Amino acid sequence: MEAHNRDLYLYKRLNARVLGVSMDDPNTNKHFAKSLDLQFPLISNVLPWMGMKYGAFSHTPPFRPDGTPSWFGRRTVVIDKNSIVRYIKDGSPDNQEILMFLLKLEKEFRGKK
Amino acid sequence: MAALAGLLSGCATMEPKKPPTMVPTDHDTVIYLEKYEFKRPPEGWALMRNVEGGDFELGFMRIEKGDFPTQTTFMYDEQPYGSSQDLGKRADYYCTKFLFNSGIEAKVTKRERVTAMGREALVLEMGGENPVQKEKAKSTIYLIKKGNRIVSFVCTQWRPLTGTFSEEPFGHFEAFVKSFKFLKKDFYEQLEEEMTKAGL
Repeated sequence: MEAHNRDLYLYKRLNARVLGVSMDDPNTNKHFAKSLDLQFPLISNVLPWMGMKYGAFSHTPPFRPDGTPSWFGRRTVVIDKNSIVRYIKDGSPDNQEILMFLLKLEKEFRGKK
Repeated sequence: MAALAGLLSGCATMEPKKPPTMVPTDHDTVIYLEKYEFKRPPEGWALMRNVEGGDFELGFMRIEKGDFPTQTTFMYDEQPYGSSQDLGKRADYYCTKFLFNSGIEAKVTKRERVTAMGREALVLEMGGENPVQKEKAKSTIYLIKKGNRIVSFVCTQWRPLTGTFSEEPFGHFEAFVKSFKFLKKDFYEQLEEEMTKAGL
């Protein structure tokens, strides 16, 4: 999250916007965003239809060592201007890879105009 | 068995030769992976290298004589805590995160605008104690403007509560920072150039 925050000026130049999605309630997200000084929106999706829609939800949940379920993993999704998912990656985001991908996407978009 | 040994040694010679990590220059510095030039600390300091993405780019560490944790580390970090491009605001945030996980109740003892490596910079000195773990730490941090981003150089010395801090390792750190040169454009500089070329 902090790395995305650091790269916001680059995302802006690449005509991309960042949206964080979490299963936490809005108040928890508010405190989390404040603690990291996040300058992009963080959506609270408790139910969690977005996680299911974008494949971050596991139907066979792994369990943490203490027995509590861990239903969601971290997933980065890039959606283009035509609402098509163009990039999916699980785990910690690779910001340099994402920035290069967005540059390629923006060049592609401009080429089509 | 001989055939197997021959085969294995044959494989070993097939491996491409890796270039040395640090190449000495004729002016008392080293060139690190063709990316940076700096004065390295003397024998006894181990190189810490980022191999698969992490919190720092490169650094050095020395375990010193004394009870645990008697050690000093210093490093160059391309992504210091925080996101603000303003030095003052970045320092404010940085001080809330640095050493936080160690349980050290760190206080800022120095905060000064300086020029480091010919760039606008801010130097911080922080330190404090963790009475539960019976440890204390003392740090010097340089936050330096580099294009649109801020990079950092950090030196932290650890001692048991009863230990005495040593100034000598900080001297090696200062020499490291003063001599540090970027030999190549970093990822972000290259990206911004490419974006400008693309009219973005």
